[in-house]
Amino acid sequence: MSVQPHSPDVENDSLEDRLYTVKYEDPGESHLDVTLPGLCAERCTTYDCVSVCPAGVWREGEEGVPEIAYENCLECGSCRWACVHGNVEWEYPETGSGVTYKNG
Amino acid sequence: MTEIIADRNTETPDYDDRFDAVVVGAGLAGSAAALTMADGGLDVIMIERGRYPGAKNVFGGVLYTPTIRKLADLDDAPLERYIAERRYGMLTDHDETAISISPGEWHEPPHNDSYTVFRGEFDEWFAEQAVDAGATLLTETTVTGLVRENGRIIGVKTDRPDGTLRAPYVVLAEGGNSLVSERAELKETEQRGNVAVAVKEVVEFPDDDNAIQDRFRLTGDAGAAYHYFGEGAVGDAFGGGFVYTNGETVSVGLAYRISDAVSGQPNPEGTLNAFKTHPAVAPLFRGGRTVEYAAKTIPEGGADSVPELTHDGAVIVGDAAGLVLNNGVHLEGTNMAVESGFHAGKSIVDAAEQGRTDADALSAYAENLEASFVMRNLRRYEWLMEAVENDREFVFRELPQALADAGTEYFRIDREPKESHAENAKERIMEAVGGYTGAAKLALRYRKIVT
Repeated sequence: MSVQPHSPDVENDSLEDRLYTVKYEDPGESHLDVTLPGLCAERCTTYDCVSVCPAGVWREGEEGVPEIAYENCLECGSCRWACVHGNVEWEYPETGSGVTYKNG
Repeated sequence: MTEIIADRNTETPDYDDRFDAVVVGAGLAGSAAALTMADGGLDVIMIERGRYPGAKNVFGGVLYTPTIRKLADLDDAPLERYIAERRYGMLTDHDETAISISPGEWHEPPHNDSYTVFRGEFDEWFAEQAVDAGATLLTETTVTGLVRENGRIIGVKTDRPDGTLRAPYVVLAEGGNSLVSERAELKETEQRGNVAVAVKEVVEFPDDDNAIQDRFRLTGDAGAAYHYFGEGAVGDAFGGGFVYTNGETVSVGLAYRISDAVSGQPNPEGTLNAFKTHPAVAPLFRGGRTVEYAAKTIPEGGADSVPELTHDGAVIVGDAAGLVLNNGVHLEGTNMAVESGFHAGKSIVDAAEQGRTDADALSAYAENLEASFVMRNLRRYEWLMEAVENDREFVFRELPQALADAGTEYFRIDREPKESHAENAKERIMEAVGGYTGAAKLALRYRKIVT
């Protein structure tokens, strides 16, 4: 008997594997953007878009402007609220593209 | 009218001015409104941006069905399991203190109107009920804006070619990420402290056919709803975790405020990993394999955040109207969405009979919602969020730790008399709550949760 509780190993999938479970159709162009890249570069030091994103869409980029891997997007919208500068452009992916959940 | 409908096809929609009402979003609120309006004799079209209703929708997993039961025959509905046990666990980093309730009555139909469902299946079924009642469903079409005339909302713009649809009534059931309503200035964009980010993973057990019934002590269609809060669930964030049993899978996830997600707490996926490997949670997922991962935001601003619900030519329902209750014990939203869609639909049927589209003619919606459980519950717990925010260190960290320590002390087996164990346990609780005075203040502050 150990002093610490013994937890069975639970294999958590990598984010990549998790995203692979979601059916996705590429809309062809990003439905996400930053309104003013200069605002990210000059005013933002916290990268809240990166911290909140459950899907690794937002990544720290060069010169303080985030890179956007829009194909990872799970369409939760959290980045839109996270950015206190209101600098996130968010559109719904059009004509049925983007994620298609079965078990949502 | 029937001929015109038969002539349409989805590639070249010609729906302009053909309908009495346009419903933006075929989720639970939208389909409830569409079904109610179709039953009331109106020609209704639902516009859904997903490939099918529910394709873009995510929730924790428990649907409360008293209103749906009145609108449709649930016997045909795709339900996973009824909820036979509710468990509330407080987690420190390595302790759990839990309360469980499993009344015999919950095993009897209608099972306290509580079922796990998948939105991809259930929402599609519910939209079909509206279609069976006469509504038209258009999928893979995104509403991009509203059409106005002299301030009155007279239709919607879509991403289809020639995709403008004019109709006397628009029901905005677009969900919590309500781009259309916000851009039309029908509601303000919520503060990030009032919006939760949530992640969910649906897990199967390929090597253990009896995993669910054995691990959750279930038979037949019975299911379990476990809720967790405290440091072991979501770190020092304002939120909690959940585990729900589906037919052949288990859903695990968590939700916490965006304002916390951006300050200190690991990102949502990292927080989910930590929760799933907590010693009280990990045994439930041994050998599990992820079937689907999902993310969602939840409007948790409460009654204060509910926007003006009726406008000239339009109403707002469901998550788009911020109709979500989270008081720690009760986590509800989909049932409130259905209730709001039902009242909105009824008010439109009544207004149409008078030939009116102005906000005053639709005011019965807001009044009936106010009198219903939806707004009564939201108003009842309006105070709670602020109280918990002020006491968050106590609620999410100190109390779970004190209860775990007190339990450990109370049940300690050694050669000391029980009297001293009980005294130690009491002292530990008293220390956490700030003595008798502190306890009395807390009891007073939180008495309305249970009374």
